[in-house]
Amino acid sequence: MSKETARALVVGGGVAGMQAALDIANQGFKVYLVERSPSIGGRMAMLDKTFPTLDCSACILTPKLSEIARHPNIRLMTCAEVGSVTGSAGNFRVKLRRKARFVRENLCSGCGACSAECPVEVANEFDQGLGFRKAIYTPFPQATPNVYTVDKENCIDCSRCVKVCERNAIDLEMKDSFVNLDVGTIIIATGFELFDVSRYPRLGYGQYPNVIHAMEFERLINAAGPTHGHLIRLSDGKKPKSIGFIQCVGARDVQKGVPYCSRVCCMYSIKNAVMALEHNPEAEVWVYYADIRAFGKGFEEFYEMAKSRFGVRFVRGRVAEVMEGKSSHDLVVKVEDTATSKLRLIEHDLVVISPGVIPSSGMDTMAKKIGIDQTNDGYIEISHTFFGPTITKIPGVFVCGCADGPKDIPDSVSAGSAAAMKATIILSSGGT
Amino acid sequence: MSGTEDEPRIGVFVCHCGHNIAGTVDVEAVAHMASNLPGVAFAADEMFMCSDAGQTLIKEKIKEHNLNRVVVASCSPRMHEPTFRRVVEEAGLNRYLFDQVNLREHVSWCHMREPELATEKAIDLVRMSVARASKLQNLPIKKVNVLPTTLVVGGGIAGLRASLDIADRGFDVLLVEKTPKLGGNVAKWTHLFPSDETGADIIKPLIRDVKKNKRIKILTESKVSEFDGYIGNFGVTVKNLKTEKEERYEVGAVIVTTGFEPFKPVGYYSYGESPDILTLAELQELPRSEQLLKISNGKPVKKVVFIGCVGSRQPGVKGHEHCSRHCCSATAKAAADLRDRVDEVLVLYQDIRTYGKGHEEFHRMARQKHVIYSKFPQNEYPDVIVKKSKITIKWRDVLADEDLEFEPDMVVLASAMIPPEDVEETSHLFSLTRSGDGFFNPEHIKLAPLTTHTAGVMIAGAAQAAKNASESVIDASGAAAKAVGLMAQGEVEIESTVSHVIPELCSSCHTCLTACAYNAISMDETKDPPIAVVTEAKCHGCGTCAAACPSSAIVMYHSTDDQILTMVEAFLCPSPSIQGGG
Ligand SMILES: Cc1cc2nc3c(=O)[nH]c(=O)nc-3n(C[C@H](O)[C@H](O)[C@H](O)COP(=O)(O)OP(=O)(O)OC[C@H]3O[C@@H](n4cnc5c(N)ncnc54)[C@H](O)[C@@H]3O)c2cc1C
Ligand SMILES: Cc1cc2nc3c(=O)[nH]c(=O)nc-3n(C[C@H](O)[C@H](O)[C@H](O)COP(=O)(O)OP(=O)(O)OC[C@H]3O[C@@H](n4cnc5c(N)ncnc54)[C@H](O)[C@@H]3O)c2cc1C
Ligand code: SF4
Ligand code: SF4
Ligand code: SF4
Repeated sequence: MSKETARALVVGGGVAGMQAALDIANQGFKVYLVERSPSIGGRMAMLDKTFPTLDCSACILTPKLSEIARHPNIRLMTCAEVGSVTGSAGNFRVKLRRKARFVRENLCSGCGACSAECPVEVANEFDQGLGFRKAIYTPFPQATPNVYTVDKENCIDCSRCVKVCERNAIDLEMKDSFVNLDVGTIIIATGFELFDVSRYPRLGYGQYPNVIHAMEFERLINAAGPTHGHLIRLSDGKKPKSIGFIQCVGARDVQKGVPYCSRVCCMYSIKNAVMALEHNPEAEVWVYYADIRAFGKGFEEFYEMAKSRFGVRFVRGRVAEVMEGKSSHDLVVKVEDTATSKLRLIEHDLVVISPGVIPSSGMDTMAKKIGIDQTNDGYIEISHTFFGPTITKIPGVFVCGCADGPKDIPDSVSAGSAAAMKATIILSSGGT
Repeated sequence: MSGTEDEPRIGVFVCHCGHNIAGTVDVEAVAHMASNLPGVAFAADEMFMCSDAGQTLIKEKIKEHNLNRVVVASCSPRMHEPTFRRVVEEAGLNRYLFDQVNLREHVSWCHMREPELATEKAIDLVRMSVARASKLQNLPIKKVNVLPTTLVVGGGIAGLRASLDIADRGFDVLLVEKTPKLGGNVAKWTHLFPSDETGADIIKPLIRDVKKNKRIKILTESKVSEFDGYIGNFGVTVKNLKTEKEERYEVGAVIVTTGFEPFKPVGYYSYGESPDILTLAELQELPRSEQLLKISNGKPVKKVVFIGCVGSRQPGVKGHEHCSRHCCSATAKAAADLRDRVDEVLVLYQDIRTYGKGHEEFHRMARQKHVIYSKFPQNEYPDVIVKKSKITIKWRDVLADEDLEFEPDMVVLASAMIPPEDVEETSHLFSLTRSGDGFFNPEHIKLAPLTTHTAGVMIAGAAQAAKNASESVIDASGAAAKAVGLMAQGEVEIESTVSHVIPELCSSCHTCLTACAYNAISMDETKDPPIAVVTEAKCHGCGTCAAACPSSAIVMYHSTDDQILTMVEAFLCPSPSIQGGG
């Protein structure tokens, strides 16, 4: 196969898929990067800071986004999903469904005139429903491609946006379309989803306004988030003075079908605990944990700093219950402190639950379409821990990032590069 | 339009960075002030300069106002200088006609509580940058060729994997291993987690494939003794440790996979006082047998204790502050396996970090097999006492809140991963820096974990940080992709912000040769008297030579004396129109 015809398909535009696409494209091969949401970036785009060095997530991610957008060898296809896959390594035929975004990508300049005009406001999923967006929107300021999308479910077809758009980019009649791609290799980088923490009713999520989950916390402290980075309680807008973080919710729990460790929650909670203190140095911050799993490069050192320099308090024990005060919406955490074997009741005005990581939605269907195996936990099965940690059962199909199990950013990036390596071996040899 | 001789027409773009800058600095005031500076043809503030919208704005304004210099006042240039350089280039300007001011790390983040003073500082910095911008000059864009061979240093599982991937992709590999055998540490382990294979089961097929592959040249019992050159064109001298013979090679890229060494915990838990107190690595190296026997007297072992975090996770102890990542899982696996052969297995731990795929499962299995886990307090380490060949261990169990005692036949210390003893040498050879854990620093800890600050030199596996073999393999393939990326392109751009010797002024004193930390300067002996010359691809643009040169014969491109002095001047004497309140 010559470089001009050899092409790769990367499914999922999170940090792992983006890295894989870049490393293939940098070797001179063409890549289709397919993302089902309106923008690439994945979960990382939603994060405020990143452990273990507290870089601002958007700041380090944006260059990657624009690198993808301008790379001559990468063809970015958002609002798109894999319909079917036939063929074999070297010669896959992939049918892609491109969902109508109702805005023509080649015409929209991202000016936002439409959005200003749109009368419909809905909860913004990018902000975990804490902020609002219009029915015509981009999920976040650095969204790539920088093109608006109409959310047809909430659109009232008033056509105000159509009239205001100087470039005639909006087409409210647009239909889904299908494209066929011929590719030599496929990389799955579909990432993860968060465990639904309301499945633990005793922890009060969904019942008490001041019990939130970690991704909501990330958005709350983010400067571009719904509160412009002001850490406040949802019930009354007060600055929380005492915050509790609850670990391993929807992780390491056989009963809930998530027996495995989510790998990132310890660290992201330590990060968020430190950030809470950065926002309000007077606050008291507690973390309730089973084991602190600070295993990556610089992680233990970061954990130590959280304790010694920032004074985050760590209590070992599974939280039995979160209770709410009668009128104040203040909370009480009931926990058995296993270090002292005492049952303790600790008051907080904000509780942040750390959800575990689960396979991305739609994983089962996609795995079936491609014919790859899944593990008992629902992630993509790899061929061998040591011989093929990014290789699936189907030759020519590879996996990286959280699609085969929870990973932090550095591990996802490294896996993205590794999958790219494997894919290019196929591309250069024509599939044999 | 990009002619540098023209009158400067500078565009200034001040970034809010969401709330990051605008929350502290009055960005509008900064942009307004800038618009009144001499040479400035356009100034504005914008939410995110790095976003597509911000980039488009720059391009549009360059066209609209015929700008020939651009200043962006935003974040640290580390991340976005390449972004903005590209943007101005796409708009038809030379990329070196751009200057970035750091209003975030240098202003808003460090003066968060003094917004007024922060704004004042931001104004000073932007004024200085604008002055400098007017003096910026076009510099050429240069490329060098990349040789199609990669040097892999270290033949452990990571080095083997990287070599195979590169060779399978059609490029040549020079694999250098210092010991007589390939395979590294994994080859020694008898109980591999998470599978039931031995290290040899994994390593043997890899070695077979590497040996079979015609593209891979293997040099065992050898070390790199000299390393020079620059990205794409490195010169390597490899010395055979037995014959002392040296040979020269030329390669385009390098992957360092020198791995780790298991820490010998002398001074911890009576290690060395009894042969029955050994490290997990030493246990793993014992030949597989039906029965575990005491090293001291050959009698069967009935009771074993494992202790975690030995030489790891010690705050304030240099080189031992990190978690060694593999040991909790390796311990759980070994404990579960051994439990079938001995009566009692006890694991003393601080936290159980069985985070990986399948790890929690065999941790659970160990418990089901009645391996006893007991947590000891963070700063109260267990006591191991050896008296007349009897070992006693005393510790405090945190969860039961009790002081306990046990008399094991064998104590296994899960000791830290530390860098190999010759790591300093490797670090010098390849100009790699090391972090607190002693392992090599990646270029960026999150987004560039496999590349380093030495362009063309990659790291993978345990050389980068403590990690398990599966993770090392992933790194290795990833680093191979980086090397192949360079080789497949065949050429790579280099920086033009380098030093230059003006031959007429050079007094042949050799001062710069010794000053340069990167061996980038040599003497051109064909000249009489010889004059200093800079190898641009090796120059990091640090400026040390220029500062050292007694004859002022060295110019730093993009940081000329003139460019720097204008900034000082702009700081000390703001132009009158600005002083007047703008
Ligand atoms: C609260 C929280 C905080 C965190 N903080 C940190 C931190 O500080 N530091 C750190 O290192 N890590 C952190 N992480 C982990 C980090 O988010 C992940 O490592 C990273 O996002 C994984 O990248 P990914 O590309 O594998 O997956 P994702 O980011 O999930 O990206 C997957 C992409 O694939 C798309 N997709 C999914 N299915 C399909 C499909 N069928 N077709 C097409 N596209 C599809 C999705 O829309 C998404 O864009 C945090 C995680 C959480 C939950
Ligand atoms: C006790 C113990 C048990 C373990 N058990 C497991 C397990 O069950 N499962 C698992 O996944 N992981 C396990 N690990 C981790 C695993 O050993 C490492 O992840 C793996 O060895 C890392 O591979 P590497 O190639 O990066 O480094 P290494 O295996 O250390 O190989 C490095 C190679 O480089 C060579 N070298 C070093 N310096 C130079 C130089 N200057 N020039 C030339 N050559 C050089 C060395 O001789 C060596 O051959 C265990 C580790 C320990 C300590
Ligand atoms: S047509 Fe829909 S998207 Fe456009 S302005 Fe009206 S509601 Fe908003
Ligand atoms: S992996 Fe476990 S035993 Fe090893 S240093 Fe980390 S916490 Fe300690
Ligand atoms: S600028 Fe630095 S790296 Fe370049 S020649 Fe001078 S001393 Fe060497």
